[in-house]
Amino acid sequence: MSMLLRECKVEVIRIFRNPYFIFWSLLMPIVFYVIFTKVVNQGMENQAEWNAYFLMSIAAFSVMGSSIMTLGIRMVQEKSEGWTILLRVTPLPASYYFIAKMVGQSAVHIFSICIIFLSGFLINGVTMPIGEWILCGGWILLGSAPFLAMGLLVGTMKKVDTASGVSNIFYLLLAITGGLWMPMEILPKLVQTIGMWLPAFHYGNGAWSIVRGDFPEVKNVLILVMYLLLFMVISVYSRRKQEVV
Amino acid sequence: MHSVVQIENLTKEFKGRKAVENVSFSVEPGEIIAILGPNGAGKSTTMLMMLGLLKPTSGEVKLFQGDPVSRAVHERIGVMLQQVSLMDALKVKELLALFQSYYPNPLSMEKLVELTGMTSDELNKRTEKLSGGQKRRVGFALALAGDPDLLFFDEPTVGMDSTARKQFWLTVKELAAQGKTILFSTHYLQEADDIASRIILFNQGKVIADGSPLELKQSLLRQSISFKMNETTKKEILMSLQDVLDVLEDKGRFTVMTENPDHVLRKLFELDMKLEDVAIEKGRLEDAFEHLTVEQEVS
Ligand SMILES: Nc1ncnc2c1ncn2[C@@H]1O[C@H](COP(=O)(O)OP(=O)(O)OP(=O)(O)O)[C@@H](O)[C@H]1O
Ligand SMILES: [Mg+2]
Repeated sequence: MSMLLRECKVEVIRIFRNPYFIFWSLLMPIVFYVIFTKVVNQGMENQAEWNAYFLMSIAAFSVMGSSIMTLGIRMVQEKSEGWTILLRVTPLPASYYFIAKMVGQSAVHIFSICIIFLSGFLINGVTMPIGEWILCGGWILLGSAPFLAMGLLVGTMKKVDTASGVSNIFYLLLAITGGLWMPMEILPKLVQTIGMWLPAFHYGNGAWSIVRGDFPEVKNVLILVMYLLLFMVISVYSRRKQEVV
Repeated sequence: MHSVVQIENLTKEFKGRKAVENVSFSVEPGEIIAILGPNGAGKSTTMLMMLGLLKPTSGEVKLFQGDPVSRAVHERIGVMLQQVSLMDALKVKELLALFQSYYPNPLSMEKLVELTGMTSDELNKRTEKLSGGQKRRVGFALALAGDPDLLFFDEPTVGMDSTARKQFWLTVKELAAQGKTILFSTHYLQEADDIASRIILFNQGKVIADGSPLELKQSLLRQSISFKMNETTKKEILMSLQDVLDVLEDKGRFTVMTENPDHVLRKLFELDMKLEDVAIEKGRLEDAFEHLTVEQEVS
C-alpha cells in the first residue's frame, strides 16, 4: 500500500512540475472564463446565474482535458521512451502504475477545481452555499472517470504525435458538442442530438443541475458509467493484445 | 547449486526471420557472463526474452528456477536496458528513492552513490537535464537499487567516457566478488576478455562458442609457431604431426598453425629438427572473434 501511495505522490509531483499542465489546465480555462463572462456575454439579465453556470462548464472543460490529454499523452511518452518497459522488470505491480496515474491525476484535479472555483469567486463574485460548492467539485472530480479511462485508451497508442493529435480532436469535439463552451441550446439541432449521447454533456449537466439547486439526473450518471465501462474494456483489451509480442 | 538462469532452445522470429535461433545455456551463481557478438547478433533479443519482455517464438526461460515475470524474481534482479530511459520531472535522488521503495531490501542511497560514483550535483539534477553518460550511470544505479542477486546489463558502457567506464567495471567486479551473478552484452571484445568469467559468443542469432575467455582462446584460436629450418622437404613431416592444422612456407621460414603449440613444439624437439629463431604467436580474442564470425558465414 505504501508503494502505491508513493507512486501516486510521485505522479502528483511530476504533473505539477510540468509547465504545460499549468498552462492548459489552469491558465487557459481561466482566461476563457474571463472572456466569456467579462467580455463576450456582458450585461445579461441573469448574469449571476450565467457566471456560476459557466464556471462549472469551464471547470469540467479543464478536468476533462487533463484527464484525456495529460494522462494519455504522458503514458504514450513513457512507453515510447522505454520507461514503462523497465518498470515491467521491477516488483512494482503493473496495475499500480495505472492506478497511480489515475489517482495522481485526480488528486491534481482537486487542486485545479479549487483554483478555478476560487477564480470564479474572485473574478465574478460567484457564490453558492458551501454544500453546493462541494457537491459540484465532487461531481466534476468523480464524473471525470470516463475521461480518465479515455486517457488510458489514448495511452495505448504508439506514437506521441498520434496520441496528441487524436486526443486534441476528441477533446475539442467533446467539449463543443457537450455544451462546455457555449450552452447546448444555441448549438445546431443535429449537434445537440449527437451531443446528447456523448459523455461531455452529461458531465457538464450534472454540475449545472447542482448549481440550479437540483441533483444530477440519473441519466447523467448512467451514461457516464456506460462510457467508463466502454473505455475501460477497450483499453484493457488493446493493452492485452499489445503485450503478446 | 541451482542454476540462476536456464534457457532452453530459445528461438525468436520477427516476421519469419529468425533473430535468435535455438539458444540454450544456463548460468550458475557467481558467474560473470559476457554475451558477445556483433551488431544484430541477437544479444538484446535474447536478453529481452530472458527478462520476459519479449515472448519467445519457442523455447523456455527460467530465472531462479521460476517464471521470469513473477514478482519473486523481479525482487531479485536488476536490469539496465540498451536504451536507458528515465522518468522525467524528477530529481535523480527522487527517482532512486522511488526505485528503492519497490524492493524489500534496497541498497542505501549512500551505497548507491558510492557504487556508481554519482556526484551530489547529479543527484539533485532533474533526469531530463542529464547527459547521455550521466543517464547511463543513473540507469546503473536503478539496476542496483534493490540489491539484486542477478544483474542484466545490455551494452552498459555505450556512451560512457573512459573514467565512467572504468568505474563501472570496477563496481561490476566488486559486485561479482560479493557473489552476484552478472550478465552483460557487449561488442567490445576487450571488455568481455577483461571482465567475464565466461563468454557466450553470438553470431547471426546463434551461440557459436561458450566458455571461459581462456578456453575460448585455446579452442578457437589458431596459434602459430614459426621458425627457420635449413633442411628441405620437411613440410610433409610437419603436416603429418599431430595437432598441426596447416603449414605455410615463406623464404625458408615455416609457420605451423595449431591449437596446441606446446604439444607441437615438444614433437618438433623430439624429432630433433634444427629449429632457429622460434616464435610463438598467441592470438588475441579479437582475432578469434573475427575468425569465428567469418568461418561461420562461409560454412
Ligand atoms: N522488434 C523487432 N522487429 C523486427 N526485427 C527485430 C526486432 N528486434 C530485433 N530485430 C532483429 O533481430 C536481430 C537481432 O537484433 P538484436 O537487437 O537482438 O541484436 P543485438 O545483438 O542486440 O545488436 P546490437 O549490438 O546492435 O545491439 C536484428 O537483425 C534485428 O534487426
Ligand atoms: Mg543490442
